[in-house]
Amino acid sequence: MITLPKSSTEADVLTHLSVEKTALEVKNLDLYYGDKQALFDVSMKIPKGKVTAFIGPSGCGKSTLLRCINRMNDLVDICRVDGKIELQGTNIYDKSVDVAALRRRVGMVFQRPNPFPKSIYENVVYGLRLQGIKDRRTLDEAAEKSLRSAALWKEVKDRLHDNAFGLSGGQQQRLVIARAIAIGPEVLLLDEPTSALDPISTLTIEELITELKEQFTVVIVTHNMQQAARVSDQTAFMYMGKLIEYSDTNTLFTAPKEKQTEDYITGRYG
Amino acid sequence: MEALNLNRHISGQFNSELESVRNQVMQMGGLIEQQLGDVLVAMADNNVELARQVIVKDKEVNQFESNVDQECSRIIAKRQPAASDLRLILTIMKSISELERIGDGVAGIASMVIENHGKEVPSLIGLENMGQIVLKMLHNSLDAFTRLDLKAAINIHNEDKKVNRQYESIVRELMTFMMEDPRSIPFILNVLASARSIERIGDRCKNLCEHVVYLVKGVDVRHATEEELNSLLTE
Repeated sequence: MITLPKSSTEADVLTHLSVEKTALEVKNLDLYYGDKQALFDVSMKIPKGKVTAFIGPSGCGKSTLLRCINRMNDLVDICRVDGKIELQGTNIYDKSVDVAALRRRVGMVFQRPNPFPKSIYENVVYGLRLQGIKDRRTLDEAAEKSLRSAALWKEVKDRLHDNAFGLSGGQQQRLVIARAIAIGPEVLLLDEPTSALDPISTLTIEELITELKEQFTVVIVTHNMQQAARVSDQTAFMYMGKLIEYSDTNTLFTAPKEKQTEDYITGRYG
Repeated sequence: MEALNLNRHISGQFNSELESVRNQVMQMGGLIEQQLGDVLVAMADNNVELARQVIVKDKEVNQFESNVDQECSRIIAKRQPAASDLRLILTIMKSISELERIGDGVAGIASMVIENHGKEVPSLIGLENMGQIVLKMLHNSLDAFTRLDLKAAINIHNEDKKVNRQYESIVRELMTFMMEDPRSIPFILNVLASARSIERIGDRCKNLCEHVVYLVKGVDVRHATEEELNSLLTE
């Protein structure tokens, strides 16, 4: 049971997060696909070194919002964004921002594991090679470190040069996470990372997410509410392009403030 | 949260599971209320037969507790309830254990009625009064649970102070009886224990109300001060 509300509630803690503790700040973000508005005036602070989950029904804008954080939506021609997302104080939508450099700082993992048709090793060091790193030892060390962080090292250390497609779905997803963290991002975006995996692989990834937050800020979009409840420190509930409620996960799943949140997480129709 | 909207889950099965478990709590509450009413009558009228019936019926109360408990754990395992559903299940599980203990208290009083039968036990207006206040508290607590009535829950919670005052005066009264006639001590001790049981039932009603506040507001008020509790009404 939670205690009586004190003068500052958990929700206030998120709005008054200090600059040092904020990894990302979304400010009045509107997003349009052509004439259709997909995000309406979203503002939120995402704390550093924590796991933040976005939940909501299909089409609520949670993946769209996630994709804004590393400007993945730039790839969609008809997409237009108003407002700001500040990564450590710099607006990532500023004209001077190099998108490739941004994506090195903000890594992303998708729903279906998408390893490259290369060896396990080459998959992990791919980003480093792109950066022009050739030194064998540096690459070896980075590969081992990333695979260890992704909790995959023990399973693949004797077959690093086998094709990545030989791995199981859950292993492939961890490989993709290893590839994303090899280049040392600050933020890791996970777009429904376990929806294509079986329950055991899902638990492994969830365990991994909890470990990853020691080094990275993790933002996860998930359809599985129990997953959000298990892995995240704070949860944002979105509905029809609006941020309805954003608070610490414990509060949101035991005593949400908004009726829409309540209806969604308890599986009621609104 | 104005209403639980139990019938609005997308899963119709879940609706009926929650509805069923909630109905059972209300039935169990009704039974306990009747038991407490009966034992108060038995005590006032020295009705041994009625007291015996109360003791027999306590088994039904216990059965209710086991059934509801089992159903709640099934719901948790199968549905992973969240938010108000989770609070409902937690409230039910805590409330039925309060109710079961109220049942034990009632059965205890019934045994003492049987034990004291035929003895010259002084009848105490205060005890009857306290019994009626507690019976009303129980009725209203169950009502507050059924209607998710925060205001009623807080009012009943405050009511418990009256019961405590009444209990203290009963204790004083009984002590004078014991001093006047030491031979009466064994029966008086039984009366005292009954008074104590009734006072404890008042405490348990207070706990029930705290669970209702948790269910409605999502805040734990078990160790809150009276002002903190009343402040919930103005929010």
